[in-house]
Amino acid sequence: MSQQFSFLRDTRHLQAVALGLVVLGGGLIAARSHLIPKSFGEHGPYRGDALREIAAQQPVLTSDTSCLKCHDSVHEERAESPHKDVACLHCHGNGHEHMAQAEKAAGDPSVTIEKAKPWDGDFFTKLDLFITKDRATCLSCHEKVVGMPADFRSIDVKSHLADQGAENIDSPDVCFECHTGHSPGI
Amino acid sequence: MNKSHDSAGASGCGSRPATSGLNILNQGTPCSGGGSCGGVSCGGEQRSKADSRRQFLSRATSMVFGSFALTLLPMESPETAAETPLPAPLNGGAVPAPPAASAAKPVLYGFLVDTEKCIGSGKCLSACRTENHVPDGYSRTWVERYVHFKDGTVQVDLVPETGYHESKLPIVDAALVDKAYFVPKLCNQCVDAPCNQVCPVHASFTSPEGVELIDTDHCIGCGYCVQACPYGMRYINPETNSADKCTWCYHRITKNQEPACVEACPVGARVFGRLDDPESELSKRLGATRTQVLKEHLGTHPKLHYVGLSKEVV
Repeated sequence: MSQQFSFLRDTRHLQAVALGLVVLGGGLIAARSHLIPKSFGEHGPYRGDALREIAAQQPVLTSDTSCLKCHDSVHEERAESPHKDVACLHCHGNGHEHMAQAEKAAGDPSVTIEKAKPWDGDFFTKLDLFITKDRATCLSCHEKVVGMPADFRSIDVKSHLADQGAENIDSPDVCFECHTGHSPGI
Repeated sequence: MNKSHDSAGASGCGSRPATSGLNILNQGTPCSGGGSCGGVSCGGEQRSKADSRRQFLSRATSMVFGSFALTLLPMESPETAAETPLPAPLNGGAVPAPPAASAAKPVLYGFLVDTEKCIGSGKCLSACRTENHVPDGYSRTWVERYVHFKDGTVQVDLVPETGYHESKLPIVDAALVDKAYFVPKLCNQCVDAPCNQVCPVHASFTSPEGVELIDTDHCIGCGYCVQACPYGMRYINPETNSADKCTWCYHRITKNQEPACVEACPVGARVFGRLDDPESELSKRLGATRTQVLKEHLGTHPKLHYVGLSKEVV
């Protein structure tokens, strides 16, 4: 008996092992499906939702295209200017509230759009919209520093003001005696 | 012991602790008679035991491997088969086939930094910090200044975020300088990104557009990727306790806006665009200019290209 059916005797062990493995495998599959996020593997070996979450973040800095939707005259003013690539927000701020007001005003004429405030002198200003007429803004780019390309219009402030015969050397808006912001000329 | 046993023993069977079986393995001499032999070879019983053990082992092994294969099944679902295609220039110029999910041509972004144009105004730095809420003391991008003095020494310093005006930094005497230039640094968005490869939890990943991103919810902050990046682009954000890095402003570029640093650059030293579009400004400039990448010998294949690097720049 034991000779002929020795295989059957062994299957009892096999059955136990098989049952154990099925339970283990089932547990592993259940644990996997529980632990791995649903969107995992949507685009690759990562959570697909993470991609959407990052893409859904709202931009903070305003791009020039938003400004030029309304202020298209500035676009023409800057078309031939060396400042045509300078972002609006550097001299005027981010203007989020300003644009929100403008959008409201487009549908409702009773909404007034606030005027831009004078700059508070801080590069990380909290002001939404401002008008800079300050040498600090100009000199943040144009003051001569070792390392600047030779063809960039950089100046040594003292000698430039002396050469050009500027009147109020210490005035914040001394640059604007000769230059304008949008189309500064040479 | 009878004769037949002796004969069996002579051919090797008896050396085993067989009790009833009298013959040997089939290649040996058949039983030379005797009822106890009865057509059942002693080697046959040995073999049946050996066979069942072998069967047991082979079945058990296949079950073990089978159960492992079962757990792997969900990983081999067709969605994961869609992999990020190689950029066209690195793919022998072949345009990668669009993924099955979307019929649209895959977008691939690239970046070019022209060090011959950078003026070190630092506008890009403050723009990046504001746009991406980068905590103080950490940076996703920075601008290095290389000053080559006439005595052969090279000084490398960082451009202040508010620019040099009123920065109160020591002024370098231009008379002592051979050449000096600015080198903006940002994430190289490598095709073979070492930072991505080492992430143990798949929190570091490549978007379908080829941008390396971080799943901040799943990042465990182990910092392995921070060490793996040969360009030092990653840091652990103390506010989220997650790895953090330049994303080329993924949230802006997917809305057809330029990255914040590109938007902020007043001189066009940073050019962002699509590598897959031969009509983009980036593709045209890459085609017309001699460019380099940083640490090319590491084989990371950066998608950030530079114009006008010197060998001192690493």
